[in-house]
Amino acid sequence: MKDNVISETDVTTDKIKIAARDVQVYYGDNHAIKDVSVDIQDKTVTAFIGPSGCGKSTFLRCINRMNDTIDICRVQGDILIDGEDIYDSKVDPVQLRAKVGMVFQKPNPFPKSIYDNVAYGPRIHGLARNKAELDDIVERALKRGAIWNEVKDRLHAPGTGLSGGQQQRLCIARAVATEPEVLLMDEPCSALDPIATAQVEELIDELRQSYAVVIVTHSMQQAARVSQKTAFFHLGHLVEYGETDKIFTAPEDPRTESYITGRIG
Amino acid sequence: MTDHTTPKNSLLRQDARTVKRNRAETRFKAYGIAAIAVGLLMLLILLTTIIGRGTGAFQQTFLTLDVQLLEAKLDKKGNRDLEDIKKVSTFGYAPLMAAALEKKVADTGIETGLKPKDMAAILSKDAAAQLRDFVLENTDLIGSSVEFRFLTNSRVDGYLKGRVTRESIANDKNISTAQLDLVDALIADGALEKRFNLAFITGADASDARPEAAGMGVSMLGSLFMMLVVLALALPIGVAASIYLEEFAPKNWITDIIEVNISNLAAVPSIVFGILGLAVFINYMHLPNSAPLVGGLVLTLMTLPTIIISTRASLKSVPPSIRDAALGVGASKMQSVFHHVLPLAAPGILTGTIIGLAQALGETAPLLLIGMVGFIASNPPDGIASGLLDPNSAMPAQIYEWAKRADPAFYERAWGGIIILLVFLVTMNAIAVMLRRRFERRW
Repeated sequence: MKDNVISETDVTTDKIKIAARDVQVYYGDNHAIKDVSVDIQDKTVTAFIGPSGCGKSTFLRCINRMNDTIDICRVQGDILIDGEDIYDSKVDPVQLRAKVGMVFQKPNPFPKSIYDNVAYGPRIHGLARNKAELDDIVERALKRGAIWNEVKDRLHAPGTGLSGGQQQRLCIARAVATEPEVLLMDEPCSALDPIATAQVEELIDELRQSYAVVIVTHSMQQAARVSQKTAFFHLGHLVEYGETDKIFTAPEDPRTESYITGRIG
Repeated sequence: MTDHTTPKNSLLRQDARTVKRNRAETRFKAYGIAAIAVGLLMLLILLTTIIGRGTGAFQQTFLTLDVQLLEAKLDKKGNRDLEDIKKVSTFGYAPLMAAALEKKVADTGIETGLKPKDMAAILSKDAAAQLRDFVLENTDLIGSSVEFRFLTNSRVDGYLKGRVTRESIANDKNISTAQLDLVDALIADGALEKRFNLAFITGADASDARPEAAGMGVSMLGSLFMMLVVLALALPIGVAASIYLEEFAPKNWITDIIEVNISNLAAVPSIVFGILGLAVFINYMHLPNSAPLVGGLVLTLMTLPTIIISTRASLKSVPPSIRDAALGVGASKMQSVFHHVLPLAAPGILTGTIIGLAQALGETAPLLLIGMVGFIASNPPDGIASGLLDPNSAMPAQIYEWAKRADPAFYERAWGGIIILLVFLVTMNAIAVMLRRRFERRW
């Protein structure tokens, strides 16, 4: 598995970016996440793996409070980002989401121009004082999203006209345009072909220089390729969490082993 | 060569089940085609009837005469003072017309035993008023001779359109055979003919004795002012309610009840809204009777559910991924709705609004109860306030009013009015369809 890793962990910090303690999530009567406690490091790619319905996406959506939009969803326990409880009553989820960017499963560019897609976040957060600054932010974000070269000549063409892989990279550019500190990715490659997937994976590895990246994936190969830390979820429990190498080569829990060898899932 | 044994179940021969199944399918297709054919036939009958009976209303019989606008009669003081000229009533104009007709008959050498008064009876009772209006606008023409096109009596008009025959007038006091002889002679001369009648589209309703002068124009303005009220109230209220219910409101039993009641409201008979309008807007709030403002308020109540239902449907059809995307970059709920969801839902909202307006435009029953049906308006409203508050009718109410009057000449106008109403409705629906096509988005 080790030779699959794109690059060695060269930016290691021990700084904890996100700390979750005894997180419980309920959808109505359904107890979807049970007692999850996890420390997610800064400047690291952390992969959440596990079978369908295990709660990995639900947990991811807790980190930027996207679950707030679901009426029947209740979250208990603490999730701290830089030591601050994001479920504190004083926290405005809108402000939180500017700090914790998100990329979704299906590329979902706004049906607007490429430029407006990226500029939207900076505009609503007032990050640019004038057009030139905004142009700068857009260019920087598109470069970070590794899509600048492909779209620089047609910034005012509609974002929905791009190919699937380009759309997803545009969405990543859109997410980083607001200068977040954490980037959440919910199966970002599941709708992409292998070549586009490879491009996005490469991009994720680059993003690790600047952000704490948390990625939910169905593909164990992908987790092994892009992440330094892996968390295995099963039936709402966090079964095992540790160095990616270790999870894939010497898992401690028999359930993890069954999953990565393909016996469950 | 390989030797094929004959298969037990040959594919080349249909078995009994397949034959039966195929027959059932063929039969079903035939039913479907028959159903569509019946529908199309009905539509065809409807359209041919309406067009066949209604187009007559757009044509009217006119008699062209040279009238001497005698200064001695119209402006005795000779100072062209409008106030003085206005003092001359239509009775002052009638002799001028009679003289003009008499001269025409004498000039063309028509032999008729009719007295001048009976000759003039082939002209409309409205003709003198027409001439007076013309003179008041062109006072400089007093003293000269002008060629003027007079409306004729509705019986004469009916004679030219085949509605009135020499047999059918046996017991009719309004017209005699001798007058028809005169009409025939004038037709032969070319002075009396059917022409396109713009006044039917732009004019006001006329009393029972003057069907030839009645027009839709004023009631069209009544409808227009009602639609303005509906648009100004129903669109913002409906859209605000829908956005709140669809995007912000928690899903609980209260919102469920609201939802059910909005759907129920859409099914409430329109006459119920009419009596509600009578009780609340007129009796309680003392808004004026027969006013387009009240009509518009009542129709707003009726149109609201339609707009709310279609707006909610188009908000629902915006994919949730767009909302996620907006929230994901840190937009607030309201920003995500107003920056992304609403613009995407706008074509659907507009379509629903136009269809709701078209529905309201054709609504008659509630207008019965707030006094907008009947012989109401005689003059076009003067300005917006007068348009909203002065008594007026509306297109469908005007049609109903004409259809229930005794004179068959009004009946023809009712059909003509239906054509105008249908033109409006078809245009509005076409705009709705065009908007939907134009802005339809594929995700």
